[in-house]
Amino acid sequence: MTLQTDLANLFNIPYWMSSANIVHNIIGIIVYMIVVSIVFSIFGYMVGWLERKVIARAQYRHGPTYVGMWGLFQNLADLIKLLAKQDVVPEYADRVLLAASLPVILALSMFIVLLLPYSPSLTATSFGFGLLMIFTLISFFPLLLFTAAFGSGNKFADISAQRSVLILLSYELPILLVLASVVALSGSYNLSGIVSAQSSSHYFALLMPIGFVVFFIAMLAEFDRPPFDLREADSELIAGWLTDVSAPYYALALFLDYARMFMGSIIIAILFFGGWLGPSILPPFAWILIKALIIAFAIIIIRATAFRMRIDRVLRFGWAWMIPLSLINLLITYMIFVR
Amino acid sequence: MLKAERDSLVETVSKMKSEGFSYLVKITAVDYVDHIDSIYILRNIDSRKDEILEVTLLPSDLWVPTIMGIHESADWYEREMSEMFGIEIRGRKAPRLLLEKWDGVDPPLRKSFTWYAPYKTKDDPK
Amino acid sequence: MTITRINVGPVHPSTHGVIRLVVDLEGDTIVHVEPRIGFLHRGVEKLAETRMYMQIPPYTEKLDYIAPMSYDEAYVATVEAAMNVQVSERAQYIRVILLELQRLASHLLSIGLLCNDLGQMFTGFMWTFKDRDIVLDLLQEAAGSRMFYVNMRLGGMREDLPADFIEHTLSTLKYLEHRIPMYVSYLEKNPIFIERMKGVGVVTKEEALDLGVTGPVLRASGVDYDVRRNNPYYVYPKLHFNPKYLQSGDNFARYKVRILEMQESIRIIRLALKDIPEGNALGAPIKLRSPNPVNRISVVSRELPRGECLMYMVADPQKPYRLSIRSPNMINLAAIDHISRGARYADLFSILGTLDIVMGCVDR
Repeated sequence: MTLQTDLANLFNIPYWMSSANIVHNIIGIIVYMIVVSIVFSIFGYMVGWLERKVIARAQYRHGPTYVGMWGLFQNLADLIKLLAKQDVVPEYADRVLLAASLPVILALSMFIVLLLPYSPSLTATSFGFGLLMIFTLISFFPLLLFTAAFGSGNKFADISAQRSVLILLSYELPILLVLASVVALSGSYNLSGIVSAQSSSHYFALLMPIGFVVFFIAMLAEFDRPPFDLREADSELIAGWLTDVSAPYYALALFLDYARMFMGSIIIAILFFGGWLGPSILPPFAWILIKALIIAFAIIIIRATAFRMRIDRVLRFGWAWMIPLSLINLLITYMIFVR
Repeated sequence: MLKAERDSLVETVSKMKSEGFSYLVKITAVDYVDHIDSIYILRNIDSRKDEILEVTLLPSDLWVPTIMGIHESADWYEREMSEMFGIEIRGRKAPRLLLEKWDGVDPPLRKSFTWYAPYKTKDDPK
Repeated sequence: MTITRINVGPVHPSTHGVIRLVVDLEGDTIVHVEPRIGFLHRGVEKLAETRMYMQIPPYTEKLDYIAPMSYDEAYVATVEAAMNVQVSERAQYIRVILLELQRLASHLLSIGLLCNDLGQMFTGFMWTFKDRDIVLDLLQEAAGSRMFYVNMRLGGMREDLPADFIEHTLSTLKYLEHRIPMYVSYLEKNPIFIERMKGVGVVTKEEALDLGVTGPVLRASGVDYDVRRNNPYYVYPKLHFNPKYLQSGDNFARYKVRILEMQESIRIIRLALKDIPEGNALGAPIKLRSPNPVNRISVVSRELPRGECLMYMVADPQKPYRLSIRSPNMINLAAIDHISRGARYADLFSILGTLDIVMGCVDR
């Protein structure tokens, strides 16, 4: 209890801004960053392991078994192997763009992870426009992927870059429209505010199921998950934007994959499943992780079974279904709940 | 097995096509050292009958007309035959080699090409 | 619009072997595809001219490494035709059973690879691969090896079927009859699968005849031609073999023909297992016979899983003078430019998957 109150005092930003004890609180911020980064790394790592295991089970395989218990350290071994490999930059590549893009994307996703609230006490900031800020940052991802792909100078990566922009064009709109209805329901742009709005009514997934489905699908597209993994379509584009990227950067990209999955499932848990709300048998922090884990599991199962869409179908689906559905969702939400 | 003349090959094949032999099964060749037989296997899908055309060529005068105008599937067969036997296909654009790039003098499926003989290239002194 | 030229292969995840496709794209639409083959050219036809008759089956088998037994049989049948050897009744039944099992194994892999080409993470592939392994277990029981068998001899087999083979085969067939409808419902209830298969890569009947495509690709275009019925060999007429063909000629029809053929194969194996007579199934090793052919030229055509193989053999004493192999894969691949013109770039790989090529057989 004391720890919790201490943490709450530590991370209360307005308190920090007004406090005279700045050094104390800067240390607090650093501790917070380290804690969240560790949680995030462990979660991302475990989701990576889970993905390998679940997909293996779906395919009558065992997945990793040898390195560590149940193959838990297989990904770590892979990571070490990838980091030990030579870094080759192709001749036609734009060295700076290629070298900078991936670390920038990773840094960006770390930043977003730090901005997200995990429990009433584990919240970095509680400024009013957190939701908008996070989604503005997320919409940089396709652009940065575009620069990475464009910079590598490979034709497959080029196609992947074009696809990434096309997906950005057609899937940003439904996300923002659903966000508008979330904000209308909760009356707040603050993520903690959205969670507390859900504590007084139902989870938003129940209040606007259409919005939830649209948002989930759009997040799949936004974060490159099957059936929308057109950017790294391995049967067509070899590895898409990663075709000419050498091993250390590939390791970053793998980590980025899990980082995005973590972000996506935490955001969905916060916006639609009440974040850290839950019976008090478990601490709030555990609830949000459990919810995120379930969502991540759903994403993995989709990956194991779905076929990849074609780009024209993806765009048609985006414009002809997702945007009208999100508009309908917005209208219904306004008419029933807001008025 | 039908014997066909080289000069009337195209007419024979197109006549056979109008008679129902509309499916080209295979074009191949056999090197009998003193002459080379170019072989066209055609099929009548409806009456379930195969017909084999044999065109005899002399090693000094190795060419056949293309039948790509009649059967589009002749494309790769002709290329393969031309590459493997050194038979020139007249009437079509000189195609890129299909299977491998041979810089040897002898086409590989001719009897004069022996694997244990020293491999001759065009650059070798004669 | 400018035309982009993309080089697909020879190392590419979904080219089914070493093949290079030079693809010209206008936007996302394919203008022209030029296949460049020959990476796996081993000169089997030339090698055959330098080998004794009994030394050749290991070479012809490795042409099609996904369905080796069918090539084994095609070659042995050619030599049998040259030497005028009759195959005993029991051996005919055994050959039909093994060939149809091989066809099942081959089509299972083809459907699994198709799932992969459509961008699924190996799930369908692993499912069908597991079933293929069960079929390969049967072939292993009969031939002693999983992949390359060389168990055909002149006039019969190298060895008779093992004692419990029939029982095992029946239980495997029962299992497959339960699995195949599962795949069908899994694939055909998937809207993305249907969207990417139906109406893509259409070959009309006239085009199919003109392009010379064979096997399931030909039958998917509405041509009712199957060597097993039109030029029957062994006991296929007795088993009332009935070729399956569809009209639409698109990717979906090519996939569906394979499913239907698998069901037909299961039916035929059942009948053959029921009718199989007692008797001698063993053939003589070629070296025990005088390897002097009776017929100078023998032409034998066989329906392999991927299409019709025709062997044209000019025979000499001891060894063939010339063995010319008509590869079904090569002519199916030659049609890819025509089939994929106007399709989307992503469709190129599903078309390649439904053509189901094996590069060892294309290059020979």
